[in-house]
Amino acid sequence: MGLKRRDFLKGAAALGAGAAAGFPNIWIKNADLAFAANGEIKVGVLFSLTGTTAIIETSLNQATLMAIDEINAAGGIHGMKLKAVIEDPASDPATFAQKARKLVVSDKCVSVFGSYTSASRKAVLPVFEHYNNLYWYPTLYEGRECSMNCIYTGAVPNQQQKNYIPWLVKNFGKRFYLIGSNYVYPKEENNVCKILLKQLGGEVVGEEYVPLGHSEFASVIQKFKDTKPNVIFSTVVGDSVVALHRQYKAAGLDPKTMPMASLTTSEEEIAAMGGEFAAGHFTSAPYFMSVDTPENHKFVGDFQKRYGKNKVTNFVSEPAYFQVYLFKQAVEKLSPKDIAPPTIRKAAWGQQYQAPQGLVKIDPKNSHTYLWPKIGEAQASGQFKIIKNSKEWVEPLPYWAYPGEVCTPNGMTQKKA
Amino acid sequence: MSTRHSSRAWIYGYIAVCVVMLALPLFVSDGYLLNKFARYIIFGILSLALCLSWGYAGILNLGQAVSFGLGSYCMAMALKLRTIPIQTGGGVPDFMSWNNVKTLPWFWEPFHSYAFAIFAGMAVPAILAFLLGWFVFRARVTGVYVAIITLAMLVVVNLLIIDAQSYTGGFNGITDLTTLKLFGIAFDAYSKATYYLAAFSLIAALLIGLAIIKSKTGLVMQAIRDDEMRVRYFGYDVAHYQNFAFCVSAAIAGFAGMLYTLVMEFASPTFLNVSISLSIVIWCAVGGRASLLGAALGAIVVTGVQGSLSDSPKFLDTWMLIMGALFIAVVLFLPKGLVSLIDIFEQRFRKQAAGGGGPLTPTALPAAAPAASELRQDEVG
Repeated sequence: MGLKRRDFLKGAAALGAGAAAGFPNIWIKNADLAFAANGEIKVGVLFSLTGTTAIIETSLNQATLMAIDEINAAGGIHGMKLKAVIEDPASDPATFAQKARKLVVSDKCVSVFGSYTSASRKAVLPVFEHYNNLYWYPTLYEGRECSMNCIYTGAVPNQQQKNYIPWLVKNFGKRFYLIGSNYVYPKEENNVCKILLKQLGGEVVGEEYVPLGHSEFASVIQKFKDTKPNVIFSTVVGDSVVALHRQYKAAGLDPKTMPMASLTTSEEEIAAMGGEFAAGHFTSAPYFMSVDTPENHKFVGDFQKRYGKNKVTNFVSEPAYFQVYLFKQAVEKLSPKDIAPPTIRKAAWGQQYQAPQGLVKIDPKNSHTYLWPKIGEAQASGQFKIIKNSKEWVEPLPYWAYPGEVCTPNGMTQKKA
Repeated sequence: MSTRHSSRAWIYGYIAVCVVMLALPLFVSDGYLLNKFARYIIFGILSLALCLSWGYAGILNLGQAVSFGLGSYCMAMALKLRTIPIQTGGGVPDFMSWNNVKTLPWFWEPFHSYAFAIFAGMAVPAILAFLLGWFVFRARVTGVYVAIITLAMLVVVNLLIIDAQSYTGGFNGITDLTTLKLFGIAFDAYSKATYYLAAFSLIAALLIGLAIIKSKTGLVMQAIRDDEMRVRYFGYDVAHYQNFAFCVSAAIAGFAGMLYTLVMEFASPTFLNVSISLSIVIWCAVGGRASLLGAALGAIVVTGVQGSLSDSPKFLDTWMLIMGALFIAVVLFLPKGLVSLIDIFEQRFRKQAAGGGGPLTPTALPAAAPAASELRQDEVG
């Protein structure tokens, strides 16, 4: 009898030890949600520092932290310092979701800045929707999303293409070849491109998608030669961009007559491939490192001073930087006791900020951002020469290609007209 | 091997784990923690599934994540079809209309039914495992070659899912899911209902697993693990038993995948990547692959420690190092995994109870025999 009991106790003790190692927080219940406590405001910073997208996401992490430190150096918000809680989601959507839960629930962050890929944004959004928190997403993306719990500060298709396609048609011709990586962003951008081309009487002579990470473009380049498009419209991403540009040049094609017009080639990719391979090709984006504004000179100067002379800024790291200031302005509008994600969202709508690219504004209709699309021609130096700047800011229309589907301010749902 | 599980300490071990698991929500009401623990328990089920094929039949399946991922997609498809229409583009899921798919593909149709989806979540992985197993085990492929083939299978299925993005959501996976409602219970990701669903599923999986390994089939499986050739000479159809273990393991992993979709609120091709598959092997090895309970606890303890360490700012840079050191320590000092602590406690205790020079107890006696079988098992694995 005693034997049994002692057996049991020993087993239970071993299990208890195991459980205690696994769940150190088990007895700690969450105190009432109190944002902005102890003279600090906690914000989450959720960009991958390891894994496949680490290089670009590290630059976003850096831009975000630089803005946070600048705001703190200038006295913080309402005298409170911003406290950045940094997590490394390791380029894995499940880890993104898990870390987002931690930032929102355990750390009680009042907002989280994060994500580069759509896959990771899609993975965290249910968390922000469940806890009614706020996610700030800096990347250009495919649109067609309208979450109450996300502020989108990157470009959507209509902003990148509205001026771009007519300009390309006018200067090079109406025959387009569409080449993209095989995932949702290129497909959606090409849907938009095809609609615009149709309006302009243009023609798609080829449409092709290569796997992510693809690096063998010989057959694709042969098709360029066969179909002789006026413009190669490229939404190829990542390492494939480097391979495509190098093989294009090796095949003896000329950007003067058949340029590649990209939405995704930034200073980062050009640095990886070498400026001579990119020279003469075009990109449309709201921001280039060469933008000539006092705000941008300061941004680039501070970034290089902080992280190294050879660092480049790009069209994702700039929104990652200015969105922290939009957050700051929104929180400043609130009295300290009212600071909470839903009130910040409301205060953020309509906020304007003089960003490096120009004056930007969060659209209260859909939580996306008014931006200044530009067309840049890549130079051998690795920088873009800005050929054309939008005359006015361009309204974000995440459902542009889908008439009848709109975001509404009340609940922000998509509605069939 | 089977003598170990019939010993009292093991029975208490099983009971204790079940009681702790079921009592947990009495002390934890926070949805975030429940969600986290449910996730660990699901990994426990997944690890237990591998234990059935690896620990008991000697089949090291490095493609276990295929079953897990397919289960996860089956559940996500059913939930996606029930997401309110405003989030889907005119009858088809939003990602399909992005890819210009206008009508719902035929293989999506049956997922309008939850019953079918839940059945498919287990049947699809099991059928796939059966087909693969049919070729592999008939051809008498063993040991490390099985590991390589299953790993290749994993990579192929993963690529297919990413590539067929018009039908699978590709790289993004299937997102924007509604909450599962069955029998009037809403299985919200943060609810006690979902936690209990995971906990009872683990208990059920333990019971099913025990029933199998205690059965005659289970004994043959273990014999195959220890000496395949000998079992064949006895006249057993070895491939048949191996495939059985392989399929049951796949079905359980598929079920774990369905639960995982409920807890994570999305399905992603990263659920069937190589790193998850390798993690399962580590959980199994750390917990003790010769024991179902051990494998399940291994997953719960490893993912629990991992989660706590990586969340704490003190260990932000060093947590991976600490995890690595822990794995090495376990392999060096407890080669049969954490659960061998139960045996160690029990034996020490029996010696005391028997009093110095008393006769050896039945469990202490065959101490040398399992060691020999462990050795062979290592050759297979």
